[in-house]
Amino acid sequence: MAEREELISAFSAQAQALGAEVYRASSPEEARALVKRLIEATGVRRVALASSPLLAPLNLALVIEAAGAELVKGSLREQAEQAEMGITAFELAVAETGTLVQDATELDTRLFSMLPPIHLALIPVKGLVANLEEALNYWLAKGEIPGYMAFISGPSRTADIERVLTIGVHGPGRLLIVLLGEEEAELND
Amino acid sequence: MTRLREEVKKALSCKRVSWALTRFADNYVVAREKAYAGKDFAVLRQRVAQIKEETIARLEELAEQFVREATRRGAVVYRAASAEEARAYIADLARAKGIKTVVKSKSMATEEIHLNRFLQEQGLEVVETDLGEWIIQLSGQRPSHLVMPAIHMSRQEVAELFRRQIGVEVEPEISQMVQLARRELRKKFLSAWMGISGANVAVAETGTVAILTNEGNGRLTTTLPPVHVVVVGLEKLVPRLADIVPILEVLPRNATAQILTSYVTLITGSVPAVDPEGNYLPQKELHIILLDNGRTRMAADPVFREALKCIRCAACLNVCPVYQQLGGTFGAVYTGGIGVILTAFFTGFEEAAQLQELCLGCQRCREYCSANIDLPGLIEELRRRVVAKKGVGPAARVALAGILPRRRLFHGFLKTAARMQAPWVKEGKLCRLPFFPELTEGRALPPLSSVPFRERTAHLPRPQSPRGKVVFFSGCLIDYVFPGIGEAVGRVLAAMGRELVHPEGQGCCGFPAWQAGLPGTFARLAQQNLAALAEIEAEAVITACPTCTVALKYLYPEVLKGDAEWAELTRVLAEKVTDFSSFVWERREELLPFLAPIREKITYHDSCHLKYTLRASCFPRELLLAGGAELKEMEPAELCCGFGGSFTLKFPELSRAILERKLQAIEGSGAETVALDCPGCLWQIGSVFSGKTKHTAEILAASLKYPQAP
Ligand code: SF4
Ligand code: SF4
Repeated sequence: MAEREELISAFSAQAQALGAEVYRASSPEEARALVKRLIEATGVRRVALASSPLLAPLNLALVIEAAGAELVKGSLREQAEQAEMGITAFELAVAETGTLVQDATELDTRLFSMLPPIHLALIPVKGLVANLEEALNYWLAKGEIPGYMAFISGPSRTADIERVLTIGVHGPGRLLIVLLGEEEAELND
Repeated sequence: MTRLREEVKKALSCKRVSWALTRFADNYVVAREKAYAGKDFAVLRQRVAQIKEETIARLEELAEQFVREATRRGAVVYRAASAEEARAYIADLARAKGIKTVVKSKSMATEEIHLNRFLQEQGLEVVETDLGEWIIQLSGQRPSHLVMPAIHMSRQEVAELFRRQIGVEVEPEISQMVQLARRELRKKFLSAWMGISGANVAVAETGTVAILTNEGNGRLTTTLPPVHVVVVGLEKLVPRLADIVPILEVLPRNATAQILTSYVTLITGSVPAVDPEGNYLPQKELHIILLDNGRTRMAADPVFREALKCIRCAACLNVCPVYQQLGGTFGAVYTGGIGVILTAFFTGFEEAAQLQELCLGCQRCREYCSANIDLPGLIEELRRRVVAKKGVGPAARVALAGILPRRRLFHGFLKTAARMQAPWVKEGKLCRLPFFPELTEGRALPPLSSVPFRERTAHLPRPQSPRGKVVFFSGCLIDYVFPGIGEAVGRVLAAMGRELVHPEGQGCCGFPAWQAGLPGTFARLAQQNLAALAEIEAEAVITACPTCTVALKYLYPEVLKGDAEWAELTRVLAEKVTDFSSFVWERREELLPFLAPIREKITYHDSCHLKYTLRASCFPRELLLAGGAELKEMEPAELCCGFGGSFTLKFPELSRAILERKLQAIEGSGAETVALDCPGCLWQIGSVFSGKTKHTAEILAASLKYPQAP
């Protein structure tokens, strides 16, 4: 338990240092309320939601509506192009590097995490691992690795002009991370 | 003036490039150190090197395994033997599919095969999407850095370029220009039918390719267009998926001092896509081109195969004093020291033959290399092959092969030169040299001494009852230009109770010949010196020039290793050879009682061979501190002074530019004296620094309480 807390704080510190915003919710209700607040706070109107077994029970479509935004429609490309925020789920996160790890083989996951200017990433705290090696071992242990795996550390960045760091080139300029905690996490909060 | 020197002068005339590169380099060294906090670079790069060595040894087998695995997962793998084959494959593919628009994410392999130009000639629209590459493409230049292609351009130049090429008015404000690029390139991403990327790693075990980017253009290139083509060099293969971990840990840290790039993408086989018209494709087309283009030939070369370990982190460029001055002029498609080697195999020997001259052999890149490649060693080998093929030019042949090995002739020659230089010597400094006026421009070089060290040894102080005997190997610069250093060595050692012997038969250590690519001449000099030095039973053989130490200790055994008769002698000598400061430091208790406090503000300059080959630059510092000096470190202390032996004759302007940079560092330290352990650096730095420039031996000798040992 203490170990998990250490991973969480290491991950949060690292991800924040890279420019991501990290939030935490210890129950599904909290998660729903948090997502609603984040949509409201960012002021986005159009949201794209990737399907995922992790997100299904949260029923975020309702949350999006409740926040006064709408779920984008059309082909996957149209959705991704129109959305101001994309919501996707991650399986793992690496504490040492502040990295989110995702099987992005499904097209909605891949598009919604990259095209909209804001990316809201949800990740269960039990998916936290210490380092890259553990993350890779997790997938290796599952047998075949997914067709498209994404490791994401902070928002999109460039320093190609005069080495000045600038956030948000081709990918999202904002990365909001919500750690979905288990009950045990509450004790230490 | 050679064409290369013309180009060098042209590159130097634009101060912006060197300004940007040095500023980046200074921050880089500090930030990189931080990025490695909690990691052991030495261990990590050893792992990378091991993985890559396995790759090179099993190259063909891994390539076949990669083809099998990637194919099994739905990719089409094409093995291109040459640049032409790779280009033709992609052009044919585009034609067969009726594709007109292509987006690319940064790939050096596609630069190497000049893919863009070829595809454009075929009527395709090809757009680079990495911001730096896009800027380069719009400006019609070629990338100047492996990782940061547009590092040489200013924001004003970029704004002007955008105005001209895209027809959009934009302020030279970086975030605005980045947003403009996002909008412009997003249109391209959404309408392209083919995406072309490189890969940082290709995994044989799983048929996976890994792509690292910060901007996310790699992800869009590999996601939006319905056809994805990867161009990846054979050397990017690794055996197992787990092998990518150490590469992920080293590559971003070494490239841009990042712990990890924003995006790391692992693609294994074909995945779903939607095309620009909105049609869903359950299996997009993935073509992987495994590019040879000289790599198999490189792997078969017993020496140059080492360069295939390169993971293109560009650390060797970031820290290279020559690259910092010249940017992309030091290299071709691939730049910097590694660029020279890759050019020899991927582009052509002729071009590389020219470029190799620009390496001054400072050794710094070797310290930083992700894969532990001995880059300066490889460049030396390339130079030897160039010389073996083309010779060294008449002047160098006479000087190095003709005069150097004939000790008496050499000695007589320098004595005559010492007399003849008189008209140009003012107040003990050489003011203008005939034949080499550039060398003395704006600085005063030390002249040849009228009485060389070898004629002064009789006057050296001698301990009454010596505690031991040491042999002194003076080397040319101390013998003929700085005999005072030799005398200082003599005085310090006498205070420590050592009898100093300077064998008459010694000559030049041979390094200039070695450096010029003449191993035969070098071996002759090695044998002469060995014969002269081996006669004497002594506690140690001391030099006060780290380059001589390196020659005697490491290069003699190497060049004579095939010769049984000499091999034993070189081994014995190598064990005994040590540089002055290390010798004294080890026995400092014997010296300190005789030292009066050194009351000087001193900054210490690391000579390349002392720091990077002998790894002894801590010892003179500790001696000076123990002697009471106030040490004020310059930043960076380890940057080369630009001497590099004959380098300074061949490229005086470049040598001078590097020296300027060193001078800034020295002056920034606020010290009154520069201490160093190399007469070459003394020659170079002393010619411009207005304070005092002294060898550690001279500083110690000047602080001796008694002129004569008790
Ligand atoms: S040895 Fe020095 S000059 Fe040569 S490539 Fe390496 S860093 Fe550059
Ligand atoms: S030679 Fe070494 S330092 Fe240079 S790019 Fe290759 S791996 Fe990096």
